[in-house]
Amino acid sequence: MEDPIVRIKNMSKAFPTGESEFLALKNVNLDFGKGEFTGIVGPSGSGKTTLLNVIGSLDTPTSGEVEVLGLEVSQLSQKGSSELRSRHLGFIFQTYNLLPVYDVYENVEFPLLLLKMAPNERRKAVMDALEWVGLTDKAQSRPAQLSGGQCQRVAIARAMVKKPTLVLADEPTANLDTENSLHILDTMQKINAALSTSFIFATHDQKVINYLHRVIKLIDGKVVSDDTQTGA
Amino acid sequence: MILKLALRNIIGNGWRSLINVAVIAIVLIGLIWGEGMWYSWLTLAKNQQREWEYGGGILRAKSYDPFDAFTWENGYAPVPAEAQSYVRGGRIVPILYSPGMIYPQGRMMNALVKGIPENQKVLSFPSTALNAADSSYVPAIIGREMAKTSRLQEGEVFTLRLKDSTGAFNSLDLQVSKVMDCPVPSLDIGTVWIDLAALRKVKLLPDAATVLVLKDASLTAIKAPLFRYIDPREFFADLNQMVKTKVSGQSLPFGMLILLAMLAVFDTQALAIFKRRKEIGMLSALGMTKGQIIRLFTSEGALYMVAASVCAVVLGFPLYWYFAVKGFALPQGYQSFGVAGFNEPLKFHYPLLVILGTLIFLFLLTVFVSWLPARKIARLRPTEALRGK
Ligand SMILES: Nc1ncnc2c1ncn2[C@@H]1O[C@H](COP(=O)(O)OP(=O)(O)O)[C@@H](O)[C@H]1O
Ligand SMILES: [Mg+2]
Repeated sequence: MEDPIVRIKNMSKAFPTGESEFLALKNVNLDFGKGEFTGIVGPSGSGKTTLLNVIGSLDTPTSGEVEVLGLEVSQLSQKGSSELRSRHLGFIFQTYNLLPVYDVYENVEFPLLLLKMAPNERRKAVMDALEWVGLTDKAQSRPAQLSGGQCQRVAIARAMVKKPTLVLADEPTANLDTENSLHILDTMQKINAALSTSFIFATHDQKVINYLHRVIKLIDGKVVSDDTQTGA
Repeated sequence: MILKLALRNIIGNGWRSLINVAVIAIVLIGLIWGEGMWYSWLTLAKNQQREWEYGGGILRAKSYDPFDAFTWENGYAPVPAEAQSYVRGGRIVPILYSPGMIYPQGRMMNALVKGIPENQKVLSFPSTALNAADSSYVPAIIGREMAKTSRLQEGEVFTLRLKDSTGAFNSLDLQVSKVMDCPVPSLDIGTVWIDLAALRKVKLLPDAATVLVLKDASLTAIKAPLFRYIDPREFFADLNQMVKTKVSGQSLPFGMLILLAMLAVFDTQALAIFKRRKEIGMLSALGMTKGQIIRLFTSEGALYMVAASVCAVVLGFPLYWYFAVKGFALPQGYQSFGVAGFNEPLKFHYPLLVILGTLIFLFLLTVFVSWLPARKIARLRPTEALRGK
């Protein structure tokens, strides 16, 4: 792989549990390239979220190296990792995590405010993102007025409005029915193809797995397989 | 961006925000009202003391010490030569004090006798009632309180006995020509006022004065080596001191109220940070720094104060206005306070700078109180925050 955007070498992550510690990730070695549509797959408790958090610089590895866009995660200052997330990473969560006091437009606009983008540019980017997820007509709605599927589409728009290099999606379909799941997967696939944004999913949902180009299996914190799927 | 989100959040917080704002606003209204009251009363008391006692300044005989009764018998000095023409011109009013005994209806009472020229125009003091033209007795003025304690009424005749400058006892028959409403208790309590000339005559002191009341401060320049200039700072020291004690007496309940308001803010903030951990994690994932998130939560608390300040000024306005126009009837029995300013309804005027200062101080206090729980965010790990634990 040429110039991976994420490079993980001999990485382990331990959590302190009382006197001893719990190894949530064991000696992980992985590279992720630009434009990938990859899933970390495995049963609950296998360490998927932990891995995503480390890649997203929300957490630091206990040992080993994790390089994201050329930056060593464990050496980033708090400001540095905020900056990395703000500029280059998008997050999508199982529970959407929208700001309830903001309408759809404002929720999507928020990351751009953090980037201090100029108003004209901002407006265009927000409208584009809403169009991508098909929610232009809901711009003025509050999250409480939307269905789960719509909320997750807002979250996708929020994650991609700044055109990040990499989007990290932790169980994005876990709270959605089949129809909505497929809808947001189509949307993300479309974005991936058009903007070559990389996606890394954490999931155990077969519907998601069917869409993936690459499937990394994680069991008890160990990578047990890493397969490229051609059929997806 | 942070302020906008903070504002939305407190609006989104509904009735809880409303209660906070209401509690703080009530405290603020009380504070503004209280500050208005003390300030207005102090101003009124000072004005009355100026009008009735201090004029444009006072020169006091060095031999007289108001706090040492043993000096009173000989507490006077001759009016200085340089002051004579001003006395004749009515710009300096000499007043002579003398301790004496009065015998109202055969009872015996200590009194301080003060002689003031019946034609003086510097003070509001009703000295014209001391004009003896159509009286066979020496007219005397006493205040309401003195009338109460001596049980003397207008028109009543009583005897005054005092020592003249040679040490011999003399007596004088006085008639109460007026019971005056005097706002300055020290001019009333235990005091009998008669014409200066009459007092000088009985004391055998043709040219003596205990104090020289000046029409304006420029007259302090005259040479008067036996007198000492009492500047406003010294003269009003007691009054200022009393306001300070009264205000600090009030500051305990007000302090409790402020504490209550601050507790409300602190509690709301602590709860918000606990309940909104997931949101904090999400904001962190979106790339907000810890500092920005702390600022967000601190701003929310500070906004309560801003909203409450606006409410206190706007909603409290009718109250402030009422007290400014209608005034506040002060309790009777002002003698117990021993100071001026309690004989007429007090019309409030507000010390705007002091009030502004109070609001700014409380704003900073609120910022601090909101920051206290918010600063915990710095130690919160975004991964844990995201899990909502
Ligand atoms: N902060 C933490 N402290 C202790 N144990 C943790 C912590 N975070 C995760 N774990 C443990 O690490 C393991 C992997 O968790 P996680 O990455 O959330 O798994 P998955 O997302 O695959 O369900 C679990 O056994 C979990 O209990
Ligand atoms: Mg998980």
